[in-house]
Amino acid sequence: MSNVKTHSIDISSMQRSQQALRIEDEKVCLSVNNLHLYYGDKAALKGVNMVIPEKKVTAFIGPSGCGKSTLLRCFNRMNDLVDTCRITGEINLHDENIYAKGTDVAELRRRVGMVFQKPNPFPKSIYENVAYGLRIQGINKKRLLDETVEWALRSAALWDEVKDRLHESALGMSGGQQQRLVIARTVAVKPEVLLLDEPASALDPISTLKIEELIHELKNEFTIAIVTHNMQQAARVSDYTAFMYLGDLVEFGDTNTLFTNPDKQQTEDYITGRYG
Amino acid sequence: MKVKKKSVSEWVKSGDPWVWLNAGAVAISVIMVVGLLLLIAVRGLGHFWPADVVEARYELPGQPAYKLIGERVESVEVPVAQLREAGINIPGDFDLMQRTLIKTGNRDVYGTDFRWVLDEYVTESKRPEMLFTAERHEWGNLYGYLKSVKENGQIVAETADYEPTESALATWEVFQKSIERADKIHQEIKKIEKKDIGKINYGLERIRLKQRSLELKGELTPAAEADLTVERSQYDEEYKVLQQSLIDLYAQINRDSFTVEAMDGSVQEIGVAKIVHAYRANAMGVGEKIGFYFVKLWEFLSDEPREANTEGGVFPAIFGTVMMVFLMTILVTPFGVVAAVYLREYASQGWLTRTIRIAVNNLAGVPSIVYGVFGLGFFIYFLGSSIDQAFFPEALPSPTFGTGGLMWASVTLALLTLPVVIVATEEGLARIPRNVREGSLALGATKAETLWRVVLPMASPAIMTGVILAVARAAGEVAPLMLVGVVKLAPSLPLDGNYPYIHLDQKFMHLGFHIYDVGFQSPNVEAARPLVYATALLLVIVIALLNFSAVTIRNHLREKYKSLEM
Repeated sequence: MSNVKTHSIDISSMQRSQQALRIEDEKVCLSVNNLHLYYGDKAALKGVNMVIPEKKVTAFIGPSGCGKSTLLRCFNRMNDLVDTCRITGEINLHDENIYAKGTDVAELRRRVGMVFQKPNPFPKSIYENVAYGLRIQGINKKRLLDETVEWALRSAALWDEVKDRLHESALGMSGGQQQRLVIARTVAVKPEVLLLDEPASALDPISTLKIEELIHELKNEFTIAIVTHNMQQAARVSDYTAFMYLGDLVEFGDTNTLFTNPDKQQTEDYITGRYG
Repeated sequence: MKVKKKSVSEWVKSGDPWVWLNAGAVAISVIMVVGLLLLIAVRGLGHFWPADVVEARYELPGQPAYKLIGERVESVEVPVAQLREAGINIPGDFDLMQRTLIKTGNRDVYGTDFRWVLDEYVTESKRPEMLFTAERHEWGNLYGYLKSVKENGQIVAETADYEPTESALATWEVFQKSIERADKIHQEIKKIEKKDIGKINYGLERIRLKQRSLELKGELTPAAEADLTVERSQYDEEYKVLQQSLIDLYAQINRDSFTVEAMDGSVQEIGVAKIVHAYRANAMGVGEKIGFYFVKLWEFLSDEPREANTEGGVFPAIFGTVMMVFLMTILVTPFGVVAAVYLREYASQGWLTRTIRIAVNNLAGVPSIVYGVFGLGFFIYFLGSSIDQAFFPEALPSPTFGTGGLMWASVTLALLTLPVVIVATEEGLARIPRNVREGSLALGATKAETLWRVVLPMASPAIMTGVILAVARAAGEVAPLMLVGVVKLAPSLPLDGNYPYIHLDQKFMHLGFHIYDVGFQSPNVEAARPLVYATALLLVIVIALLNFSAVTIRNHLREKYKSLEM
């Protein structure tokens, strides 16, 4: 635990340097326009409007069931897998509506990668896990695969731990390593956006710390959207934060402002722990 | 200290009766299975033991005495009243009598292999060392004393003794050598008849079919006909050479004969070529007997049957069973998996899918003979004859696929076991964690790629479980096979050196059917009974081995794709 505490001091100094962030200055990566989502008759998202800035970390916070994971899963159309799910509105990825007819969903998911709450490595070797996305694209050249696997594992700060056992099963790794492997796997296909759905919630504090450091590294290359239950985590890792409640986007702004001086009473109540 | 006695209701409440009941049920099941296996093992495996041959004097009251030579088979107690009713005059005051079944052999002489004797009237029982047993290619066992060995009708060794004297033993040596020589020639003859001549016959048949097919197409030009005639004459030439060598071999094998004194004192002359083994069980030590036992056991596993299946081995039946199960597995696995994938992954889970699923589950409960009837009616009569008309018109009217055979039997059993594989695979697919599928989809894999690269490998242990159940069911099934291709004696194996090597249209033998045939359709039930047990044991072992290998594969897969639950 002490590690995390020291770390949070580091981050808060970092946050001070970010005070000048303004959403209007950012390049837009994803924009959400009046997005409604229904599971059967139940509305899970009620007209969300927001933008995800490029090469920044955007965090989604809010109580359970507020729709933050649902919104995240809209960005790579994971909700298509749910039969009863119905969506109106649009999400643009660089001015391209991803819900337009004829969108190649597999191609979209290549561009918008996702890491899930529980580590979900495939029952293959570490190497094959990372190479999976490339093989799917038909890349089978050994040299290219080797290079990409190494680069991805280095990006996920995992290379030094696994370089001697690349061909052992990924299931023998610890939970934290598995989660970083999953990140490496996602990074390996070089997506534009990384969606992280509570990536550290199943991990111990030290693994959590590593993941957070990793997020900080990765934002130089990727646009990152992260859902988290942990407000300290959101404060530590993100540049922008969206607070959601019961399917509504209550407040969206740069992290520092949202946590120190929120506009809405609801936001303040939540982050000060009065409900949620 | 006074111990308070527990009341019955307290005892019931404590749960002990349930433990006893459950443990008792398990114990009874285990005892029954072990008992069953022991019974067939003891009865079946005892058959190969070289039993001592007994010589005795047998005199029923009021009937002339005679000499009895044979092996003891079994002994039972019978009420005397029953014997008296059967017309045997038994003086004295008995209630029960011991009655023994003796295998006297020499069926060609006495007409039967076995006779019952009453132990009471057996006297002067002894086990002379020179008494020998000869297993013959025909007519079952022969028991008696060796008198002489002849070569081209000339006596080369003879003896007048019944004891192991020098002359008796020397004659025995000559006899053994003669058998060895005959056996070698026998192997050669078999090779020529089965392999070389079989090949020629196969070639001739192909020429005939070719000619017929050209004829049917109206393309049988004189030139083509001449070609075929040339080919045919080549085969005829080869055949003539082989036939000549066969004639020579037969002349050689029939060179030797021997004379034997049977239990009725008559002396017979028999060709050495007719003997498989000859041994003097009474003179054998335990070590020798054990050695001989394994020779006989191996013969049972590796030889072809003789004497309407009551003697010899069961190799063609083992081969047929294993081959059919393999083919069935190759057919049922892809079909079952593909069907399960559609039902679980692609079909919308509405009432139609539910109905289909229920129907599939119920198919597993349809009696197997019904599948046999379906196989006969649909596969053989409909599909088979259509195939014949389309692809083998030259062979008609004799059917190629329009009759029972290895393929139709495998297909029928594949149909029979399909529900098992579908159900097991569906369960396996349902157990794959959703987050792993999502992980694959999130990397840009399509649903098909996810299925193929992640879901199916992970479901493979469950698929193997289905295959194991299918193998267990199919290997033991007999009833449907009787309708779709199993025969009591197949002239050749469905796998041989003649193109196309696997003959799917051929009829084949099966251990399960072999048991039925040997035990209940055989002309010599007493002689066949031990073989029924031995074959039953073998069937159990073959199924166990097939299952064991499938279980090994599954465990390996399970280890490889072990569940991701955390």
